[in-house]
Amino acid sequence: MSRLSIPTTARLPSTLHVDPSNPTVSKYLNRLSRQSLISLALEWLDENHLPLAIPYLRDPEDDSSQDYENDFYPPESSPEALQEEYLFLQSRKGSKREIIERITQGDWRHGLTLYQLAMADLQYLYDHPTSQKWTAYRIVPLKLPSSDDLDGEQQQEVDKTSLVVPPFHPSVFLRSLQEQIMPDIKAHYNFDRHKTLPLLILRIFIVDSPYNSAAATTGFDSSKTFFLAFPDASPHIYLSKPQAIGTGGAGQGGESKSLRNLIVEGIPKALSRPQQRFTLVSTALTTRNLNEILERRGDGRSNYAGGGWSIYADERKGVKESPLSTVLPLPSPPLSEITEIEKGKGDGVFLMTDAERMEEKRRKRAKMVAQARFGDTGKIGDGKGVERVDLVLEDAFPDVRKDEDEEGDVTPRPKTGRKSGIEADLDRMDVDDEEGDHSEVDKNWRPYVRLTFHGSHVFAGIRQLVEAGVVDGEKMPGWMTGEEGVTMGAVRNGRIRGHKGSGL
Amino acid sequence: MEESTPTPAQTLEDEISDLQTKLTSLKSQLSLQTSTLLSAPSTRSILPPQSPLLTQSNTQQSHNLQSLYRACASITTFRARDPDPNSVDNGSILGLRIDVVSRTKFLRPYYVLLNRPYPGSKHLRIHRHTVPPCIPLSGLAARYLPSDKEKKQDLVRFAKVLRREVTRYHHRLGVVADLREAAVGEEIVEVSAVDAEAKQVSFEWADGRIGRLVMGDDGEVEKLVVVVEGERDRETGRELLGGKVDVQEIVRRLSGGL
Repeated sequence: MSRLSIPTTARLPSTLHVDPSNPTVSKYLNRLSRQSLISLALEWLDENHLPLAIPYLRDPEDDSSQDYENDFYPPESSPEALQEEYLFLQSRKGSKREIIERITQGDWRHGLTLYQLAMADLQYLYDHPTSQKWTAYRIVPLKLPSSDDLDGEQQQEVDKTSLVVPPFHPSVFLRSLQEQIMPDIKAHYNFDRHKTLPLLILRIFIVDSPYNSAAATTGFDSSKTFFLAFPDASPHIYLSKPQAIGTGGAGQGGESKSLRNLIVEGIPKALSRPQQRFTLVSTALTTRNLNEILERRGDGRSNYAGGGWSIYADERKGVKESPLSTVLPLPSPPLSEITEIEKGKGDGVFLMTDAERMEEKRRKRAKMVAQARFGDTGKIGDGKGVERVDLVLEDAFPDVRKDEDEEGDVTPRPKTGRKSGIEADLDRMDVDDEEGDHSEVDKNWRPYVRLTFHGSHVFAGIRQLVEAGVVDGEKMPGWMTGEEGVTMGAVRNGRIRGHKGSGL
Repeated sequence: MEESTPTPAQTLEDEISDLQTKLTSLKSQLSLQTSTLLSAPSTRSILPPQSPLLTQSNTQQSHNLQSLYRACASITTFRARDPDPNSVDNGSILGLRIDVVSRTKFLRPYYVLLNRPYPGSKHLRIHRHTVPPCIPLSGLAARYLPSDKEKKQDLVRFAKVLRREVTRYHHRLGVVADLREAAVGEEIVEVSAVDAEAKQVSFEWADGRIGRLVMGDDGEVEKLVVVVEGERDRETGRELLGGKVDVQEIVRRLSGGL
């Protein structure tokens, strides 16, 4: 730590010590459970992390242990001994407070490094996978605004750049991101591989301070943290909503927002290279569930094959569909495959009354319909659920006098007048259709209907309703199956995301 | 570590799981035998004309023919229906199925499902697909399946080019895997593809040298850089290439074939 604090454009070093009495430190540590705290401390003491998390140790030359007689947490002589200590703590029960105090007043009394704080924060993310709200963006080659498409609805130009798959190099990205950041704020970056998912997580910790020395730590009250996640082999990027960890009140909301915006604007520039410019476009998917976001915006086959189409994307069926397999895909011979629907057979079918038999038949049919519409998605236990879906219905009110034409493409556009936060967003999702361009007076009544589905797994809930017969699975519009993979959208002609109903 | 004697309950559990594995394997054998029997010409000749088995045999025959086409042609089409009641063109879907072989195995086929959403024109549009995101599908669609009524669509070209891209991608993945097998040893400790398209391969040497190889579309070496302590190490790069220009040849050389 230098004694002089000079404003610089450099990033905050990982080795910067933060005083344990800093409220930020206790806030990070207090969020973790006892088990996580101990494993975190053990990780710090691991030889890979040790250089950036050096504990307070006794000088091995110095034998005078009476110096520490009054010390409640006498320092150990080596990291290995400290490791033993924590392993011992791990094996017995105790309070969380005990560990926090040991860390802040004992083994790291001289301060925790920013690196350690970053690890503590990431530990919280792994402990609470749904603690962050992620928004998925797609990285696309930058074009002039005229050909800028929001959801791939507009055709791309036929040139070389339309065939480019954006590359991503973490270290180059970080260096150029740093160049985008103004000198009056400082950031600390920490890359980490997600423990279970194919993701690279970048934690950005922004402090409103021109210094990159200890003087910056006084500004932690107004600090902001947010996460970027880069899925492997997929031109997408997931951004989390920023979180204020400090005590900075609501009054600083605007300011911290601009801090974040600075970074967000820097991301596409940092991804770009000379002669190769990229930009981020929203993909209208926001969820707390990283599994879901990886399923729909990841590297697999399921990105554009949701709902009932997921049967085409399911990797596990690979063997059955191989052209070398002679086995018929149908359950032709008896006993060859007992499906779940058939299993129910035989439980006293003969004892049923006609009404019961009808009911049974209807139930089976509903189940099959649900299977057809949802495929293998939307199951309660699959851990891939969105918790909120916002939709605007822009369809004309069904006319009772004449039958609504199936080919509704010629109906004029709805009036655009009312605009409010989310609707402006929803409007952006919308792509103007050429047919609607002629400014014709809108004769159909188009009520403004906004639907919000809310729950732990929205589409699994709808699937259950279909299976229970509450929702007619055959007449249910496609956007209720979640096959488009968006959590925000406008429905027109019964289809979401542009009027052609396509998910390219 | 003492081996505890299993309790009766445990033994039963084990037995049940054993039996269940047996059941699954027997079932798959049964279906395999059935299809084999149904496909055999001798079976067909002894089946009476009104037998329901004959229909099944016919289904099996057509399935076999379909599989043959799929195995040989690698691009096949099929028809499907969109279950969405609001779907365009009454839910008619044209499916493209692309079968890819990689490292001696047929992979799960890739599907592209097309529909006809444009009123008054027969132009197709990609509706759903399972092509991985590292294939620039939208760029290819813009090229060969333009939505403009005036422009001509070329589905055959599209399918061909798409299949080529997919096959190239899997070949690159395969080559990187081969390279890893051939190169990793005492000196080189790590070989891995580092970008989405598997066009860039990173090398790590035990002594800290790192390298990056950029592969072209057809597996040719476009660039190779080896860096040691911030300096470019041309010698190692040349050594690794061994005068070859193709990644596959490097694999062959490293594994001692050439």
